[in-house]
Amino acid sequence: MKRLFWLVVSALFATSVVYADIDPNKEVIPGVKRGDTIIVEDPTGAITNPDSFNIWTVWAGGNGGWSHGLQQLAMDTLWLIDPDSGLAHPGEKDNTWHNSLAADRPAYNKDFTVMTVKLKKGIYWSDNVEFTSADVKYTVETLAQNPTALFGPQFKTDVKSMTTPDKYTIVFNLNAPNSRFHRNFTVRWNACWIMPKHRFEKDLKVATDLMTYNFNPPLSLGPYTLKDYDKHGGWFMWERRADWARTSIADFGKPVPPFVMYQLDLPNDKKVIAQTNHDLDMIHEVTPEGIISLAKNKWETNWFQGFPFGHPDPTLVAILPNNAKAPFDNKDVRWALALSLDITKVALASYKGAVTLSPLQYPPTGTSKKYYFDPMQGFLKDMTLDTGTNKAYKPYDTTVATKIGDMVRPTFGDAVPKDPTRLAAMLGQGWWKYDPKAASDLLIKAGMTKKGDQWYKANGEQFKITLFNWGTGNPTLQRLGTMVAELWTDFGIETTALWAQDNGTRYNLGDFDVNMGWNIESWGGNPDISFFADSMHSRFYTPIGEVHNGRNQVRYKSAELDKILDKVNLSDFNDTAKSAALGLEFLKLTAKDMPTIPLMSYNVMSSQDNTYWSGYPNFDKPYANPVTNWANSRYIFTQLKQMLPPKK
Amino acid sequence: MTFKHLFNKNFGKYLLGRIGQTIMVIIIGITITFIIPRLAPTNPVELKIQQMMVSGANIHPEAIRQFREAMNDIYGLKGTLLEQYVNFWGRLARGDLGPSIFSFPYPATDIIMKSMPWTIGLLLSTSVISWIFGNLLGGLAGYYSNRRWTRWAELLANSIRPIPYYIFAFILLIVFCFVFPLFPTLGAYDRGMDENWMNPAFLLSVLHHTFLPALSLVLTGLGGWLLGMRALVSNIISEDYVQYAEVAGVKKKTILYQYVMRNAMLPQITGLGMSLGGIFSGALITEYVFGIPGMGQLAYRAIVGFDYSLIMGVSIFSIVGVSVAVLIVDLLYPIFDPRVRLN
Amino acid sequence: MINAFKGLWKTSGYFRFGIVALVFALVMVILSFFSPYKPMASYKVPTDLPPSFDYLFGTTSRGQDLFWQMTFALRNSLGFGLITAFLSRILAILVGMYSGYKGGWFDKFLMSINDSFVIMPVLPILLLLNFLLRDQMNWFYMALMMALLGWAWDARLIRSQVLSLKQRVFSETAVFCGMRTRKIIFHEHMPYVLPVLFSTTINNLLWSIGMEVTLSILGLTNLNNPTIGVVIYWANQHQSMISGSWWWVAAPVLVTVFVFTGFYLLSVSINEFIDPRTRLRMKGGAA
Repeated sequence: MKRLFWLVVSALFATSVVYADIDPNKEVIPGVKRGDTIIVEDPTGAITNPDSFNIWTVWAGGNGGWSHGLQQLAMDTLWLIDPDSGLAHPGEKDNTWHNSLAADRPAYNKDFTVMTVKLKKGIYWSDNVEFTSADVKYTVETLAQNPTALFGPQFKTDVKSMTTPDKYTIVFNLNAPNSRFHRNFTVRWNACWIMPKHRFEKDLKVATDLMTYNFNPPLSLGPYTLKDYDKHGGWFMWERRADWARTSIADFGKPVPPFVMYQLDLPNDKKVIAQTNHDLDMIHEVTPEGIISLAKNKWETNWFQGFPFGHPDPTLVAILPNNAKAPFDNKDVRWALALSLDITKVALASYKGAVTLSPLQYPPTGTSKKYYFDPMQGFLKDMTLDTGTNKAYKPYDTTVATKIGDMVRPTFGDAVPKDPTRLAAMLGQGWWKYDPKAASDLLIKAGMTKKGDQWYKANGEQFKITLFNWGTGNPTLQRLGTMVAELWTDFGIETTALWAQDNGTRYNLGDFDVNMGWNIESWGGNPDISFFADSMHSRFYTPIGEVHNGRNQVRYKSAELDKILDKVNLSDFNDTAKSAALGLEFLKLTAKDMPTIPLMSYNVMSSQDNTYWSGYPNFDKPYANPVTNWANSRYIFTQLKQMLPPKK
Repeated sequence: MTFKHLFNKNFGKYLLGRIGQTIMVIIIGITITFIIPRLAPTNPVELKIQQMMVSGANIHPEAIRQFREAMNDIYGLKGTLLEQYVNFWGRLARGDLGPSIFSFPYPATDIIMKSMPWTIGLLLSTSVISWIFGNLLGGLAGYYSNRRWTRWAELLANSIRPIPYYIFAFILLIVFCFVFPLFPTLGAYDRGMDENWMNPAFLLSVLHHTFLPALSLVLTGLGGWLLGMRALVSNIISEDYVQYAEVAGVKKKTILYQYVMRNAMLPQITGLGMSLGGIFSGALITEYVFGIPGMGQLAYRAIVGFDYSLIMGVSIFSIVGVSVAVLIVDLLYPIFDPRVRLN
Repeated sequence: MINAFKGLWKTSGYFRFGIVALVFALVMVILSFFSPYKPMASYKVPTDLPPSFDYLFGTTSRGQDLFWQMTFALRNSLGFGLITAFLSRILAILVGMYSGYKGGWFDKFLMSINDSFVIMPVLPILLLLNFLLRDQMNWFYMALMMALLGWAWDARLIRSQVLSLKQRVFSETAVFCGMRTRKIIFHEHMPYVLPVLFSTTINNLLWSIGMEVTLSILGLTNLNNPTIGVVIYWANQHQSMISGSWWWVAAPVLVTVFVFTGFYLLSVSINEFIDPRTRLRMKGGAA
């Protein structure tokens, strides 16, 4: 019996070795070999109408089907900003800025009411028709007539008229001064993509037909075209254009993989299984535990080539208290909430310590170290609070990185550096102190009292918090939320972490205590704050009970902030030093006010398999964001090396 | 006993009454599933807007306001609940469930039809297989209840039952896709194949891909039938006529298959009818774990996205499926069991 | 009673196994009241340790002792399952018995309602209700919901049992002898209905706890309070099966299998005892 058992086991093992074999000649789909294909994860869940490639509507793909290769490989627009340091290319000093379809940076008139754009020559659609200024004009005009299209209402409100003096020039006349109008055509994650006028004119009888249009097969302005796709939305296969040199990506060289396949709808465990079986070259994101087990393999790489693994995205994970609701409308209470958090435990529970902390209202990623985090250190160290008992309490703590390093060293060993400066570069230069005493003082200053081990508000009610937490789809941040709730509860503020379907709706309405999420996302490569801060202007402020349309659901209001934002709106975007100076003003103001409690960058645990392809971006070679669903992940394909070419 | 024999006057009356009852039950069921999602505070338009915001799209506040208004128009989420209800039946009468909210402008029915064959194929085959094997094993276990192996089979069936299905399926996945990668982890058939059910290569590929999910369903489904049948058989063998047959020296095999199992079959057939009716709502966890594009996943996504039309669509199929199955079983019962009088 | 217990203990292996499982479950439930930690408190013990004498079931990545967490989980899940089973039994017995004995239009009316519940797609409705009640959702509401959705098929079974009993010779004899209906029901029929009731109770218990696990795996229950499903949920959220801390999943699964197999065997052996003729036993429970 025993012998039979082992016989079966070894037979299974033998077959499995054959099955999981690395074979560049096996077919991914009929006619396409594995060695010629890079298989990339698209983190969008399964999509319900894969037949739609209409990226200008919210229902493309039924579930936000924008990133299954469509926006990375086939769409293009005027400019792209790289969230990391970017690649050198002709005609531009700043690597993070790419003049994609445009030939140059946007040119505004003096009062920012006219934007003139020069376009590149010799860019072609995949059906051999040249791209011209007429395409751009058509795009804006068509969208402006569709209030349910992405960017539609925006163009309708902002654009007075357009002229096309020649095939390669377009002039936008704006309704109001706006130095950031080009943002609509500047990719961070995405932007307004350009439509092929000749195709759309044929297919749409009236402009509003756009809403029910399929755009199938999509016409490509990028280096790849759609080859085939799963009718159930499981995967999308893209093929390199023979004339890829006639697309904007040629600035960086030839896209290496002849085929790119995006695979969708992968639960976390399956990603690990698929990559271990060499069926998935690029994982967008997996849990910290998942990447730890993957990183044990020699063929695996990730951003840091080991601890702390993940790529810090230019997205700031934060605790978002309702600034319009008592007692969170009191700055002292918000500070008390921050100082009662043991950030090392928060870091451990969420990312297993692999975090990049930020004490500022700005994601600690990309070029932000240079522009913001280094210059702010002095300010942070000198900053004081009045806790009631201490008029000049210094809340900043520069030892957190060392503490976290010591906590995780038993798990990750020598991969965790001992040098405090290196650790700070990885895990963040500092955060706020864990100081329950100071937090208590602040609550007492705010009129609260402690009875037993519970806090009570001035009106005698117990201080309880419902914390809107992340859902199942984001295990790491959901774990973070439960840890925050636990720490506050231990501090004497009974906190319940709740994930409900209508959390988002209530958040928009202001019907919440504290939300977990992000409202600050930066360009990454560029210090301009308009990307996230615009809608925090008090012009867009909405009281509780009315839906807020923007990023200020926490309902923070400040006359000083308005002044900064007005200055931003009337400053030249290309003047990076000016943008950075205004950004510093914003950071100093919000560091004191603490409208939201910043935690850390959104670290994306991306993992790559180097068996078939190598040359992925990493901490030492940060030429692009390894996160696969970003439109600017397209650059990666030009830098790869084919490891196992199939036999011809 | 023939069909002709059944169609007397009494039966006609019974039949009409029974059908009327079924229709009423269906209407009540559909009404309940119409009301529940609409009581929810969540609005699909808000979900769509949040999705845009979280994706990092850069849209300014005035634009979002206009977008919200226009979307409410398109989705037809206007009017009172009663008006929406009346409209709903009006449209349903024409076979129109309305456009799916998330897959706008595609009709919900189209999307359901795409998922249907997968669910039916997987669940129909596994339900029948586990029913047949479960009853066979259960019959043997009941008849030869003193043998050691029947006790073990029963114990095994019993211990599989409380294992959370998700865990059971996932262990299969880990063992046969990860530790021994014998089966593919992704999709319901090889990539790039046409969904042509007449093509033997396609069928083979589907079999390869759905073997594990089917196995998990058969193994977990088998236990219930086994235990049920065992219990039924052990009741019947103590009946007088079985004792007589044994005393009269009828062959054991004949007794088991002809006398015992045939009679024990009746409640099991009812049960099969019920479970077949239930397959229309899919097997969410199976489809989730193994990535089958079936009704269960569709229903789940519809609910998460508050896609009213899709929720209604899936529920209607399930409600009608089960009630028709119950009706058919009730009507066929007299054919199997002459003892049941129509009154 | 004690004699019956002794007799069963001696003759039935099933009964012995069942009693051991029952005692185990009771001990776990009682221990939960003496736990040194709050049910979900983090970083109280070292993380990711396999089972050992110090930590019987091992520890989680969040620094929780799985043994103590399981005592809470078992208590909550059992409480939830038993309340669901109890409430739905009341409904099933009332509807099944009434409609079986009364017959006529009353029977038809009750059965229409009953059938409406039978055909309801349970999982989608539970998902929706979970979304709806999210803020107020606790295990008691959930038990109530499950009870409302889980009685109908069993009521049908009980009714059919009653119908067949009514036609039996001994019922007619009893009526002729002038026995009162209530007496017939409780003295003559109850012994036949009880086994059905027992086996459907166990099935219902399993069904409701299984549903709780399903909902928990989808993240739709109160995740701050450990149940068997919630323990598995957090194991999943830490990818424990992939990252090698198998004990995080093994603990809830093995405990569940042990306790519920025990319960089932217990019910089988008691049924055999109540109904020595072992005439009628029906399969129950809409899965």
